[in-house]
Amino acid sequence: MNKRQKLTLLAGAIIIILAFIIWFYYGAQLFTKTQVLIEKKDELFGTTYKEWQNKFIWGLDYTMYITGATVFICAVLFFVFRKKKESLNENNS
Amino acid sequence: MKIIVKLAVILLFYSTLYFAQGFKVKADGQQTFTFKPDGVNNQASFYSTTTLEDVQGLTKEIGGNVNFLTSDFSTIKGEISFPVVSLNTGIAKQSKDLKSESWLNADKYPVISFKIKKAVNIKQLADNKIQADVIGDFSLHGVTKEDTATATITYLDESPLTQQRMPGDLLGVQAKFDINLSDYNIKHLLLGKRVAEKIDITVNLVGSNK
Repeated sequence: MNKRQKLTLLAGAIIIILAFIIWFYYGAQLFTKTQVLIEKKDELFGTTYKEWQNKFIWGLDYTMYITGATVFICAVLFFVFRKKKESLNENNS
Repeated sequence: MKIIVKLAVILLFYSTLYFAQGFKVKADGQQTFTFKPDGVNNQASFYSTTTLEDVQGLTKEIGGNVNFLTSDFSTIKGEISFPVVSLNTGIAKQSKDLKSESWLNADKYPVISFKIKKAVNIKQLADNKIQADVIGDFSLHGVTKEDTATATITYLDESPLTQQRMPGDLLGVQAKFDINLSDYNIKHLLLGKRVAEKIDITVNLVGSNK
């Protein structure tokens, strides 16, 4: 494993860990939400009712997309960097 | 003997009237209130909680009407309904799945309704406020079952304040009840434990008698 491959693995691991940290920060929801229900008070009747409020909640689906994409890109880069080293060795010999 | 029977009947009749729980408001007699979808106050929401996920949804296209004697709320009759397609969970794909054939099947069963038959266990919270168990037939997914909603109902006489909302006397209703999905032939084998068997439903309505 050369330096570039190590760097690729490290960057990939950081991105995946960050994605999971963000997911936990947003409450570890299964699905990404763009709206949440909030309660409001009806002053006339003293009752509460619900309203949609635009709010982004990072879900496990986004986390998995990012994890998948990162693994794929890292695998490609890992392969590319390995080939470059091999072709360099061939040229030198 | 006949006199005693007559007296007993009269006594029973007046005691029924005396103990009848209703609103002590300006209006008397039979009142009909209509609830129209207003995009704000008239709404039905549901909530399901599991260890895996909480699912909640809302519709603001709920409407209907109720009628009752102001002096005797147990006489309430009416129907509240909303279209299945109006349900929104805040997640586009989830909302679409909810209306699909494997869940509520909006194409085949387009409306969810509650047909009110009577009210029992009426408690007078104030002259214009009542808490009651409202019994009716809840229809969902092609199945109709009797269910009981615990409702708090507030009657507001027409005033400059209520006129800001809408003309006429206003009736505010907040009702809560729960259903078991399996009672309505809603199976969720594919999604497993993501949705609870018991679903809590809350209904908020404000209507006018004009």
